[in-house]
Amino acid sequence: MSLLRYESQVRPPLVEGHKDYHQITEDICRPVEAAPSLLWWIGFGISVILLLFGVFSVYMEVTYGVGQWNLNKTIGWGWDITNFVWWVGIGHAGTLISAILLLFRQGWRTGVNRAAEAMTIFAVMCAGQFPIWHMGRVWMAFFVMPYPNTRGPLWVNFNSPLLWDVFAISTYFTVSLLFWYSGLLPDLATLRDRARKKWRKHMYGVLSFGWTGSTKHWQRHESLSLVLAGLATPLVLSVHTIVSFDFATSVVPGWHTTIFPPYFVAGAIFSGFAMVQTLLLVTRKVLNLQEYITIEHIEVMNKVIILTGSIVGIAYLTELFMAWYSAVQYEEFAFFENRANILSPYGWAYYIMMSCNVVFPQIFWFRKMRRNLYVTFFLSILVNIGMWFERFVIIVTSVYRDYLPSAWSTYYTPTIWEVGFFLGTFGLFFTCYFLFSKFFPVIAIAEIKHILKKNGESYKENMDEIEKVSVEEFADHHVDKHH
Amino acid sequence: MSVKKFIVTSFDDEEILFPAIRQVRKSGYKIHDVYTPFPIHGLDKAMGLRDTSLHTAGFVYAIMGTATALAFMTWIFTTDWPMNIGGKPHFALPAWIPITFELTVLFSAVGMVLTFCYLCQLAPFVKKDHFRLRSTDDLFVMAIECTTKTNEEQAIAFLAQLGGKDITVEMKETEWWLGRYDKDDRHTLIKTEPEIIH
Amino acid sequence: MMAIREQFSKTKNFNLISLGLMGVGLLSIIILFITHGASGDHRMQARFWASLLQNSVYFLLVTNAAMFFIAATTLAWGGWQVSFRRVSEAISSCVPVLSITTGIILLAIVLSDNHTIYHWTDTEHVKHDKILLHKAGFLNKGFFIVWTIITLVGWNLLGAKLRQLSRKIDDRPLDNAGAKKYIWDNTVWAAIFIVFFSLTVMSSIPWLWLMSIDAHWYSTMYSWYTFASSFVAGIALITIFVIYLKNLGYLEFTNEEHLHDLGKFMFAFSVFWTYLWFSQFMLIWYANIPEETTYFEPRVEGAWNGIFWLTVIINFLAPLLILMSRGAKRNYGTLTFMCILILFGHWMDFYQMVFPGPMKDPETSVSHVPMMLADLGIGLGFVGLIMFFTARALANAPLIAKNHPFLKESLIHHT
Repeated sequence: MSLLRYESQVRPPLVEGHKDYHQITEDICRPVEAAPSLLWWIGFGISVILLLFGVFSVYMEVTYGVGQWNLNKTIGWGWDITNFVWWVGIGHAGTLISAILLLFRQGWRTGVNRAAEAMTIFAVMCAGQFPIWHMGRVWMAFFVMPYPNTRGPLWVNFNSPLLWDVFAISTYFTVSLLFWYSGLLPDLATLRDRARKKWRKHMYGVLSFGWTGSTKHWQRHESLSLVLAGLATPLVLSVHTIVSFDFATSVVPGWHTTIFPPYFVAGAIFSGFAMVQTLLLVTRKVLNLQEYITIEHIEVMNKVIILTGSIVGIAYLTELFMAWYSAVQYEEFAFFENRANILSPYGWAYYIMMSCNVVFPQIFWFRKMRRNLYVTFFLSILVNIGMWFERFVIIVTSVYRDYLPSAWSTYYTPTIWEVGFFLGTFGLFFTCYFLFSKFFPVIAIAEIKHILKKNGESYKENMDEIEKVSVEEFADHHVDKHH
Repeated sequence: MSVKKFIVTSFDDEEILFPAIRQVRKSGYKIHDVYTPFPIHGLDKAMGLRDTSLHTAGFVYAIMGTATALAFMTWIFTTDWPMNIGGKPHFALPAWIPITFELTVLFSAVGMVLTFCYLCQLAPFVKKDHFRLRSTDDLFVMAIECTTKTNEEQAIAFLAQLGGKDITVEMKETEWWLGRYDKDDRHTLIKTEPEIIH
Repeated sequence: MMAIREQFSKTKNFNLISLGLMGVGLLSIIILFITHGASGDHRMQARFWASLLQNSVYFLLVTNAAMFFIAATTLAWGGWQVSFRRVSEAISSCVPVLSITTGIILLAIVLSDNHTIYHWTDTEHVKHDKILLHKAGFLNKGFFIVWTIITLVGWNLLGAKLRQLSRKIDDRPLDNAGAKKYIWDNTVWAAIFIVFFSLTVMSSIPWLWLMSIDAHWYSTMYSWYTFASSFVAGIALITIFVIYLKNLGYLEFTNEEHLHDLGKFMFAFSVFWTYLWFSQFMLIWYANIPEETTYFEPRVEGAWNGIFWLTVIINFLAPLLILMSRGAKRNYGTLTFMCILILFGHWMDFYQMVFPGPMKDPETSVSHVPMMLADLGIGLGFVGLIMFFTARALANAPLIAKNHPFLKESLIHHT
C-alpha cells in the first residue's frame, strides 16, 4: 500500500467538514453560479463610485497639470509615490503565496492562493496608475519605451532606477497574470462543464481555452507551475528591490542605505499578507467558505505577519543605529530630527508607523490572538495604515527639510485631487475584486482536491492507526518502495 | 478532423485508477488518455508518458532574454549614443543587472506559457470533444482506443471487473476545432448512438 | 523489520583525517606565528591575528547556522528534515568549543596594544579621530567584550536547550496529545533562538566583529549579508555530513529526496546571498560617495580585485549553473563537490571582508594580498576540529530522532 499522502496528526486539517471532491466543487462554484446578492451590489456600487471619483481626479490633474497636487520644491514626491510603493508592496503577498509557498510545499496555500494572486494583479494595476499619471504630460508616456525613433534615435536612460521600474512593474504584472490565469484554466473548465445557462457555457468555454484534464496536459501544467513559481520567486524579490532602488541609488540622507532592498521586500510581504487577511476574512464569511479558509490558514498568515513585521522592525533599528554610527550629520538629522523627534512636523507620522508596524503586531505572539478573527481584521488594517505611513515617512521626511534651511517646506498636505486619486485606486481595486469574486472561483478548486486526501478532515481521522505504529514498521509496511 | 471509436469508463477513486491502468496496459489495450479533475502524482509515469521538456524550453527562453537585454543595452550605451550619465562608465554593467534580470524572467515566463498553450492546444475559442463532463468535477475518466483487434464486449467486462463505472462505447473527435461550448457543433457526422452497457 | 543503525562510531580513517587536519592547522599557526605573529612590526603581527580572526569567526558562524537551520525549520513546522536533524544538531555542538576559541582570539585582539585590526581600540588615536570619537559609544572595548560574552553564552545556552529538547523523547514515545505539546514547546524555544539570533548575527555581531575592522565605513546591509554567507555555508556543511554518513550506511531514512531539497537550499540561498551582495555593491557603486566607496577601492580597483570577483564566480555562477538541474541536486558526487566549493567560496568571502583593512599600508594606502597558504592551513585546522567534535556529538546521541512526531513525514518525503 503506497502511503504517500500521510501527514502527522499534530497538524490540523486544512479542509474541514468531511468533504469529498464533488462537495468541494459545489461549495466553491455555488457563489459563482448564484445571482449577485444585495450585499454584492452595494459593495460593487460603492467601488464604482470611488473609481469614478478617481477618474475625475485624474482628469483634473491631466487637464490642469501636476500643479493640482501639492508637490513642490523640495518635496518632489509625496502621495503619488507613497501610494505607488504601497500598492506594489501589497501585491507581493499574492506571488509569495503562489510561488514561494509552492516551492516550500505548504499545503495551506491552496485555500488562499487564488484570491491572493487576483489581489496581486489588481494591486499592481493600481500601483501602475501612479507612475503613469504623475508624469504630467501623460500623452508622451511612450517615451519610456526603448523603440527606434527619429529623435537621434534617442534611447531611454537604462541607468535610471525609474526606468528599471518600468521593466519591473510590467514584467511583474505580466508574469503574475500568466501565473494566475494558467492556474485558473482547470477551474474555468469545471465551471464550463457545470454551466447550464448558455451564456455561461459560452463564456467559460472561451475562457477555459478548451481544457480537458488530460494527463499529459496536467503533467505540462505541473511543470509550468513549478517553473513559473521558480521564476516568480526571484521576481517578487526583484520588483520591490527595484522599487527600493528608486530611493537607495540616490544620495539623499534617509534614502541612500544598502539595507533597503531586502527591507522593502520584507515590508511588502508584511503589508501584502495584511491585505490578504482583510480581504479573506470578509470573503470567507460572505461566501461561506470557512471550511476551506480555516482558522489554521488565518493563524499561519498571522505568523507570517509577525515574522515579516519583526524583520521590518530589525531593519528600522538597524537604520536608526547606522544613522548614528555613520557619524554623518545629515543622516543623523534625517533620522533623529526629521523622524524620531515626535515634536517635529512629521514626527507623529513616524510614531504611527512604529506603533502600527512594530508594536501592535507583537500581539500575534499570543496564540489566542492569532486565532481571533476580530483582532486579525483590526490589526490587518492597522498594518496597512502603518505601511502607508512608512512610505510616507521615508519619502517626505527625507526631502522636506534637507541641506538648505531656507528651502525647508513646513508642511505638505495633499489636495483633494491627490486624495481622490488614491481613493480612486481603492475603487479600481475593489471593483476588480468584486467582479473577480462573482465570476471566478476565489479558491483554487483543483488544488484543494489535490490536497484533500492528505489534509482533509476525514482522511486525517483515518490516520489514527498509522500514527500509533513505530517508525521501523511504518518504513517496512507503509512506504511504497517502488515509488 | 479524425473521429475514432473509444471505450470510455470512469472511476471514482484514484486508488482504483492506478492498478486499473497498470492492468489495462499489461493487457495490451491502447489508452488514449486519462482525464482527471486535478493532477495526480505518478499518473503520468503509470501511463508511460515521457517527461515534459517544458522547463528546458523555459531555460532557453530565459537565456534569450538575458542575451537580448545585455546586448541591446551594451550596444546603445557603448556604440550608438554613449552619454555621460552621472559620471558612470559607458559600460555600466551593475546598473543594467535589474533590467537584464527582468527581461530574463519575462521572456522565460511568456515563452513557456505560449509553448504550453501550443503543446496542449489551448486557446480561446478552441473546443475539444469531452467524454464525461464530470471529469472536471470528481471522476477519473479513462478512454481506450478501439482498434480492429479490440473485442468490445471483452474489454467492457474487463474494465467492469477493474472497478470501472458507466462504461460506454463512443465515437469522438480527437482533434480540436474552433467553436462555442454552448452550441453542439461536433464535427462528427456519425449518427450512431453511444452504446451504454453499465 | 528494517534495522536502523542508531549508534554512530567514528572510523579510523575519519579520526586520522580529522587529527591530521588539526595538525596541519596547528602547524600553520606555528609557522605563521614565527614568520609574522612574533615579529615586532605591528602590521606583520596583525596579519597573523587577522587570519585567526577570519577563520574562527567564519567557522563559528557556520556551525551556529546549523542550529539556525533547526530553529527555522522547527518554527516553520517543517517535517522533511527530521530524518537527518541529528546531523545538524551534531554540527551545532561545535559551537561551544568554537565559541571559546573565537572568544579568546577576539579578546586577545581587542585587549592587545596592536590596533591595526581594530583601529578604535587605540584610545589615543580615537581622541584625534572625529569619526571614531563619535562611534566610541558603541566601538569601545568594554561594550565589545560584554556583548560578545553575552552573545556567545546565549547561542550556547539556546542551542543546548534545543538539542536537549530533541533528545528528551528518544526513549519516550509520544501519544497524540504529547506530540502536540512537544511540537509546541520546540516551537516556542525555536522562536526564542531566532529572536536572539536576529539581535546578534543579523545585526550587532557582524558590526562589532567584522564591520568595525573598516571602522570609518558603514553599511546597513552588512549583517544580513554576513548571515546569508554563513547560512549557505552551514547548509553545505550539513549536506556534506549527511552524504558522508549515507556513504557509510547510516541515515537509512534519508535519501535522494532529502538531498535534493538540501541542494535546492544551496541553490536558492546562493542566489539570495548574491542578491544581498549585489544590493550592497551596486548601491555604493551607483551613489559613488567617497566615504562609502573607500571600502570597495582595494577590493575592486586594488590588489584584491581577483579574489573579490572569484568569490562571486564561486558563490553565484557555480551554484547557479551546476545546481540548476534536477539531476545534479540528486547526485551525491555533484553535491559533494558543490558543498566543498561553497564552503571554500564563503571562506574566501570572509577573507575579503576581514583582510583588506589590516593589510593596508598606512603610508601608501595600498592593501596587498598576503600569501594565503597559511590561512588555508589554519582553515583546514578548523575543519579538522569541526570533524572531530561533530563526530563526537554524532556518537553521543542516536542518529535518528525516532519518536519525533514528524519523522514519518520525513520518511515518505518526496520532492
